[in-house]
Amino acid sequence: MDSIISTFHIDVKTLITQAVNFSIVLVVLYMFALKPIQKIMRERTAKIEKGIEDAKKNEEMLRKSKEDYDQSMAKAKAEANDLLKDMKKEVSEKRSAMLEDAKTEVAAAIAAGKQSLESEKQKMLSDAKKELAALAIQVTEKVLGEKVDASYQEKAAKEVSKI
Amino acid sequence: MNFIQEISLFAEPVAHIGKYVITNSMLSSWLAVIIIVALSLVLRSKINEIPRGIQNLFEMIVESSLSLIDQVTGSRKLSEKVFPIALPLFLFILLNNWIGLLPLGWMGQVEHVKEGFAFIPYLRGGSADVNTTIALAVMSVVAANLFGVLSIGIWKVFNKYVNIKVLSTIPSKIKKDLTVIIVAPITFFVGLIEIIGEIAKMVSLAFRLFGNIFAGEVLLASMAALIPYLVPVPFVFLELLMTSIQALIFAMLVVVYFTISSSEHGEETEEIREEQEEIREELSSA
Repeated sequence: MDSIISTFHIDVKTLITQAVNFSIVLVVLYMFALKPIQKIMRERTAKIEKGIEDAKKNEEMLRKSKEDYDQSMAKAKAEANDLLKDMKKEVSEKRSAMLEDAKTEVAAAIAAGKQSLESEKQKMLSDAKKELAALAIQVTEKVLGEKVDASYQEKAAKEVSKI
Repeated sequence: MNFIQEISLFAEPVAHIGKYVITNSMLSSWLAVIIIVALSLVLRSKINEIPRGIQNLFEMIVESSLSLIDQVTGSRKLSEKVFPIALPLFLFILLNNWIGLLPLGWMGQVEHVKEGFAFIPYLRGGSADVNTTIALAVMSVVAANLFGVLSIGIWKVFNKYVNIKVLSTIPSKIKKDLTVIIVAPITFFVGLIEIIGEIAKMVSLAFRLFGNIFAGEVLLASMAALIPYLVPVPFVFLELLMTSIQALIFAMLVVVYFTISSSEHGEETEEIREEQEEIREELSSA
């Protein structure tokens, strides 16, 4: 044993010094490097895991929202189609009714017009006849050079009205 | 004038403070400590949530070290406990080894010795001094046993070496199994041999590292003496690799010792024995 100690110069002081050296390395490296690095790595891992979990949740929520949206859209479409059908039907009915009304009104207007025209025609004819009778009397008075009596005037008016 | 060019088996003294001798290996170790402390402080000041530069590199080292230790321990939880000892050990040995390889041949002093004059370099690989390797080996093995005490309890660790438990089971088991009279004392003596095993661990750790690093330095010195400058260059690269491997071996062996000490002694054999007893009972009842 002594020969080993003397050959390799094994010295307790040097042994203790080297042990202290390593202890310093151990403590400093742990306190200033390993501990904070491991802490930050753990925190980051937790954040990433949380992020992935949140992303999965969001994806699920998005999928559900899309499903809801699709369902709502399908429902709205069906409702809109029904509404459209009803409206078309209603519009068609209203149009038919309006057409009927218009036709009736037009027919009434035409009839009224015809009636008015007829009355106008009759009035014009009677006026024309009166004027014609007066004219005939005037012509007769000019030809005769004297005034005709009332009986002649009446007779002339009767003759003119026969035309 | 006779000029001696040989590497001594022990670290050469380069200074004295009273009776305290400062060797060139000690200077290398202090340099390694300064580098590691400086790096740690720089790293501490630059730690950020988003890693950059040195933090990136260190995180990569931490992650790969943990993966490597996982292969030995088989459990991330245990790896995280052993890792704060294994990584500093690896870095300290690695830097000690590499400092010894620095091409600073001009840094040293010429001293008068019995045979003539000898050149004493200021830096010698820290691990090329057996004092360093013994200190590290003793600390590692003692720490492994303390870790065992903390993990499985002092009674179980004590029984690993002085297996009183197995001797106390003889009266209860003798009726079932007569072989216990032979097996129990053998197990007890195996436990005693474990004590020698622990000493052997320290010796093997210390001298493996010292031997390899010292041999590397001798090789480099021999090559430099034969043809200086050119020939030693490939050997320096070889030594860089070899010293890294030696640091890794030392650290991994320490991880193995920690793993062994944290597992209960004879855990598996007990399980097998219990299974065998169950089978035997089933057969006898059949």
